[in-house]
Amino acid sequence: MLQPVELKDFFITFFASGIIIVSGALYALFYAFYHLKKIAVLNYLAYVSYFVLFISVLIITQTMHLDKIWTIVVIAMLVGYFLAPRGIWHLCVATHKEKGYEQK
Amino acid sequence: MTINQFNTQNLNVGQKLAIKYFSVAVVLFAAQILFGLIAGLQYLQPDLFYGVLDFNVNRTVHINAMIIWMLYGFIGASYWLLEDETGISIVGIKWGHFSFWLLTVAVIIVVLVYLFIQWGPGTDATIWFINEGREYIEAPRLADIGIVICMLIFFYNVAATVSKGKVTGITGVLTLDLVALAGLYLAGMFYTTNISLDQFWWWWVIHLWVEATWEVLVGCIMAWGLITTLGASRKIVTTWLYIEVALMFGAGILGLGHHYFWIGTPEYWFTVGGLFSALEPIPLVAMVVHAVYDSGKHGFKSNNHPAMAWLIAHAFGNFFGAGVWGFMHTLPQINLYTHGTQWTASHGHLAFFGAYATIIIAMFYFAVQKWRGGVTIRGDLVDSGWKWKWSLALLNIGVMGMTIALLISGYEQSQIERAIGGSTWLGYFQAQIHPWFVEGLVWRQIMGYITALGFILLVWDLLTIGKKEPLELESKVA
Repeated sequence: MLQPVELKDFFITFFASGIIIVSGALYALFYAFYHLKKIAVLNYLAYVSYFVLFISVLIITQTMHLDKIWTIVVIAMLVGYFLAPRGIWHLCVATHKEKGYEQK
Repeated sequence: MTINQFNTQNLNVGQKLAIKYFSVAVVLFAAQILFGLIAGLQYLQPDLFYGVLDFNVNRTVHINAMIIWMLYGFIGASYWLLEDETGISIVGIKWGHFSFWLLTVAVIIVVLVYLFIQWGPGTDATIWFINEGREYIEAPRLADIGIVICMLIFFYNVAATVSKGKVTGITGVLTLDLVALAGLYLAGMFYTTNISLDQFWWWWVIHLWVEATWEVLVGCIMAWGLITTLGASRKIVTTWLYIEVALMFGAGILGLGHHYFWIGTPEYWFTVGGLFSALEPIPLVAMVVHAVYDSGKHGFKSNNHPAMAWLIAHAFGNFFGAGVWGFMHTLPQINLYTHGTQWTASHGHLAFFGAYATIIIAMFYFAVQKWRGGVTIRGDLVDSGWKWKWSLALLNIGVMGMTIALLISGYEQSQIERAIGGSTWLGYFQAQIHPWFVEGLVWRQIMGYITALGFILLVWDLLTIGKKEPLELESKVA
């Protein structure tokens, strides 16, 4: 069953949903820059970004009533946004590793 | 080879055809903006052109022009890169030219019919000759058949050329994608008397074209663009094209479910649509990693700065328009209130511009560069490149401004009309006269004018950029 967002929660729902994507991108950005530059503060910023994403997901879990079957969506977001940048980083390293691939 | 002036001798056979497609695309882009401005004005002055050029007609032309100019852009882009990729002349190029004229004549007839014959009862005959009645693809069925024939000829040109020439990752993906491009359009052509069934198939065209086949086409163009402008490794780019296609199809196909929330489909579509919609932005977010990796590991230099700038605008526009603006209202718990309001228009404006218009404009700049004999278009242009920089800025500011203005109107609409008014007529009219809604639309109009100004500059720049560059610049090509 679907329980719609309540009127009082409209703004926070829109805002938190947007923040999920933006903080997900910031997490990916800082994560990649940390692995590229090895500057510790970037790593902290990456996890702060993910923490913001985590909180935002919790907020929409409350406001959008994401319980029961909808828990799948919450887990998919938390796991997906956490692991995808890591997976892509490993793919980047792997695809660029072979000799002769660096430049045309 | 002739430097500095437009000369088709600078182009291969496919590129000559591509120029035709690009030229019509620019004209239709102008039509999209013009009819969008008129439709926007009609929100503010509802009696404007009443009975002469009604809002429903303007809106139809505005939206259809967008779909078709982008289609022209994609077809042109594919012809543009095909001979470079396969190493041979395009097979059946005469059919390609025939297809271009067939499509263009069909488009002209359809637009004229939209403008002059859109009243009277809807009958079986009007489905064939006047209007099929499905938003975005209103073209009558006769024109639909023409479009499918053109897509099949386009597919034949590409598939036959690829099969006889060199098969690359880009051309392989492109060929397979064209099967889906032509095939999915068929889903929008049959008619059922059950509105739920009708909508079910209609979304196959709208969603799966836009969020699957078009995205793959864009992936192919982007891959070719990265190799051409930045000298990126073909093997890496191709590998990433495969990864991108897998990620996009993985989340995008069943993301279709977010259009099935309110059309009478079974309840499980709420969960399916919700889950895959939540996953859809993940590839966009993850690709940030790849962009950072490449910018850090490679010292790429571009010989076409405007094209490069528009490719960057594409990355950001796609992320914000499709990712952020899409996810803000995609889960059914909130979509119940936002669906079909100006929220949707806000998302649509930024997503279509960011994901598609930007990359086609980048292709225009590639085309102009080669058409002028391969001049270098870098930061040291004679006029310092003010026209392309201002057109880039104005178009992006204009579209972003329209997006935010529509967001404000849509937010008000979702509250007053939907949540409080319960989607009643009273709620609808209360929302339409609310100051937030009206002011949002005023600002949308102002931002529309800025967009139009950016477009005029863009056309001026496309016609003049590289014209006065000293010939010695050619030696600087990276």
